[in-house]
Amino acid sequence: MIKKTASMNHQLSFDAVVVGAGLAGCATAITMAKEGLKVAIVERGQRPGSKNYFGGALYTHAIAEILPDYMEWKPPFERAVTEAGFWFLSQNGLTKMTVQGGYLDKAPADAFITLRSKFDVWWADQAQRLGAFLIPKTTVVDLLRGNDGRVQGIKTDREDGVIHSPIVIICEGVNNLLTQRVGLISHDLEPSRVALGIKQLISLPADIINSRFGLQSEAHGLAVSVLGDVSLGLPGMGFVYTGKNNLSIGLGVNLDVLAEYRLKPYEVLKRYLEHPIIKPLIKDGQLLEYGAHLIPEGGWTDLPVLQTNGVLVAGDAAAMVNALHWEGTNMAMVAGRIAGETAVLAHTKNDFTSKTLSEYSRRLEDEFLLKDLRQYRGFSKFLETHPQFMDVYPSFMNDAMGLWFSAFGKPKKQLFKEIFQSLTKRRSVFHAAADMISMAKAVMGW
Amino acid sequence: MVMKKRDRFEAKRTGKQDDLFPVYVDDFLMTLKYYVDEEESHLWIKDFKICHSCEYKPCLYFCPAGVYSRDSDGTIQIAFQSCVECGCCRVGCPYDNIGWKLPRGGFGVAYKFG
Repeated sequence: MIKKTASMNHQLSFDAVVVGAGLAGCATAITMAKEGLKVAIVERGQRPGSKNYFGGALYTHAIAEILPDYMEWKPPFERAVTEAGFWFLSQNGLTKMTVQGGYLDKAPADAFITLRSKFDVWWADQAQRLGAFLIPKTTVVDLLRGNDGRVQGIKTDREDGVIHSPIVIICEGVNNLLTQRVGLISHDLEPSRVALGIKQLISLPADIINSRFGLQSEAHGLAVSVLGDVSLGLPGMGFVYTGKNNLSIGLGVNLDVLAEYRLKPYEVLKRYLEHPIIKPLIKDGQLLEYGAHLIPEGGWTDLPVLQTNGVLVAGDAAAMVNALHWEGTNMAMVAGRIAGETAVLAHTKNDFTSKTLSEYSRRLEDEFLLKDLRQYRGFSKFLETHPQFMDVYPSFMNDAMGLWFSAFGKPKKQLFKEIFQSLTKRRSVFHAAADMISMAKAVMGW
Repeated sequence: MVMKKRDRFEAKRTGKQDDLFPVYVDDFLMTLKYYVDEEESHLWIKDFKICHSCEYKPCLYFCPAGVYSRDSDGTIQIAFQSCVECGCCRVGCPYDNIGWKLPRGGFGVAYKFG
């Protein structure tokens, strides 16, 4: 039994309570604390970040909008993203399409490769530095409501663990049980609209990473999505992110695919790590950590009602993810910030009904966030119905590039014919053209 | 009992599955730190009869921590101690037959790097 602590007596009362000390939760807490609100952040993990696992980068625009002087507080970033793009993997080949310099050559960088269990601790530290109160090791089980049904705070799993507050900001993450309980969304997640992300974090000396990935120094980092022979030709994508002295390498596969094909995700991961092109990149590396996390790729389809009387919801709990662009962390931070600003407004007006709180949705409409989610609403479905983008086209690209740059002592006309045939033997010209149109539609939201 | 997903579930196969070779997931999981709740499991089977009638038992496969297994008479066993709380089983069980709640505060997986 967990002992009751002094901080958890039932007199506890705050101006706002945040459920979850992740990217959205601390963003909203920082925003409110800066404006002088008395804020509690309730986190179920041992520490912030202990339940979070991702392969990826965080976007600095979102951090700077919340904490303009964030760099002075030394965020625990791994490396700046100085090279980004796609890798197209065939059975035994790799075609790279990455960009460096140009738009990516900024200081501070547009994005930093990060490990969440370290970053989230720092992110929560910033909230605490500004006056927010962190309550870890505490699971929120329900909202606290008065006799009139009005939200009065939260109930936690601690003995007498009730926290009073006129407004609750739910940033509980992908398993949005509280969001569902409150009735902000009537359906649970669907296997076809969630991806399971799994990765290995592999330890390697910085100079080895630099030489294997062609990076100039420890300040330079590579972030790539890997398409092709990663997920057995089924809807899914791999990724590689270079840390200071570690590699985040893994993949995301739709859950319905894992279920229907009865795939063990760690076997798919192992196959990817054993790929003849990938294997040398991780050679002699030590496994530091393995883990998995669900990604709510439903976006627009799984977007809940974003506010009700006394409640706002942000981040993964609201399926704020753009799968194609690997955006989600920035959406969580932007939504968290705007939720915080809305809560401040509600306090100014002393009105916590959805009338005032609907300012939150209205502001998100103005931002890129809801625009992008609406535009990409068909993308998950598109990948599911067009597995050739995981299989046919990456293999074709490798064949085409390989043939183009080989000298067989044959006339070039025949070479072009062979390149053309390497496509048509896999997919007819008609189908290929239709695929491209479908992709354009899915991306543009037509 | 909710059976709504049954109609949509059909097992498929791809030839590339033959490339897979067995992985002992505990080799991966030993890198993880857990605070195990010795008093209660946050995962449970709602109705064992449904598991017995479930033809494909995808939970034996999709769980990234290999939490689900079968004992000698085919009953589903849950090693909740290994759970990484991703939610796959909650969302992915075709019969909504897996009970899932968050571990009590402080318990469960604690990623060191993330």
